[in-house]
Amino acid sequence: MSTVRSLAVEDSVAQVDHEVAVGEDLAFQRRWWRFEKVIWILFIVILLLDLGGTFGRGPLAHARLRTPDGELSVHYERIERKGTPSMMRITFGPHSVAGGTATVSISDSVVNGLGTQRVIPQPATTIIGRDALTYTFPVSGAAADIQLQLQPSAAGVYYFTVSEPDEKPLTGRIVVAP
Amino acid sequence: MEAALRAFIGYFFVVLIVRIVGRRPGKQLTPFEFVLIFFMGGLALTAIVGDELSFTNAICQVIAIALAHRLTSWIRSKSSRAARLIDGTPLILIERDQWRTETMTKMRIADDDVMFAARDKGLRKLSDVERAILERNGDISVLPK
Repeated sequence: MSTVRSLAVEDSVAQVDHEVAVGEDLAFQRRWWRFEKVIWILFIVILLLDLGGTFGRGPLAHARLRTPDGELSVHYERIERKGTPSMMRITFGPHSVAGGTATVSISDSVVNGLGTQRVIPQPATTIIGRDALTYTFPVSGAAADIQLQLQPSAAGVYYFTVSEPDEKPLTGRIVVAP
Repeated sequence: MEAALRAFIGYFFVVLIVRIVGRRPGKQLTPFEFVLIFFMGGLALTAIVGDELSFTNAICQVIAIALAHRLTSWIRSKSSRAARLIDGTPLILIERDQWRTETMTKMRIADDDVMFAARDKGLRKLSDVERAILERNGDISVLPK
């Protein structure tokens, strides 16, 4: 025969005027209300930072790199979000276009880490280097823009370089938020 | 692994949000509370599920949430301090013909809400109420005079 475990009932719940067991803890509740107030302020701060682009996709996230002569510039988002598409725009100045083509080397961190989905327009040639890919684009005008659609698959900090042949590379950093 | 962790964290985040948003009186959800629940659930879902739409992921995340819930219940049963943190405490709204105005304001409760609970108990007016208590689940208990 199995025994039934039991425990005597005690009035463990705090009573009001020794009449009603309510279990109110107003001191705790007042602390909680103060905590709620802090959390609401924090929420508002987070939202404002988000609207500003601190966590990506806003004015504060836009960044630009430029060579001293202004012949090559890169517009990108310095803060991105995992799995969220963004564009990196590379602009060639008139002197960067030689013989109807523009050439640019982009570190492979842009392809692997930052998840390049496509290059617009499609490059005429792609040369695979040790740590970079070199793209060549046919250009009809004096200047040109190319765009890379990025979609990072993992959060983290990624460094990238963009350079023209025989020129000092532009180096940037992109933080990918989870 | 990462997906299960996301579900685990997502559960506790939603619990915190629901706790911060606060208790609302009444046994049924009002239309705007429906909107809140659906929006929160839907938005949390996009982050928790991400692009992992597999059946395996769904099973693992459901298990992770079940575990998180079980853990929360266990902690709540073992520690009265944790129980207060997770559920809050009951709060007196009316005592000896006096409104607790601080509680009413902070909990965003109107006298109509208390009268609704009083009518539910068969009381005709607020002066028939000895005590009104806002319970942990948002219900208002009314003790007649």
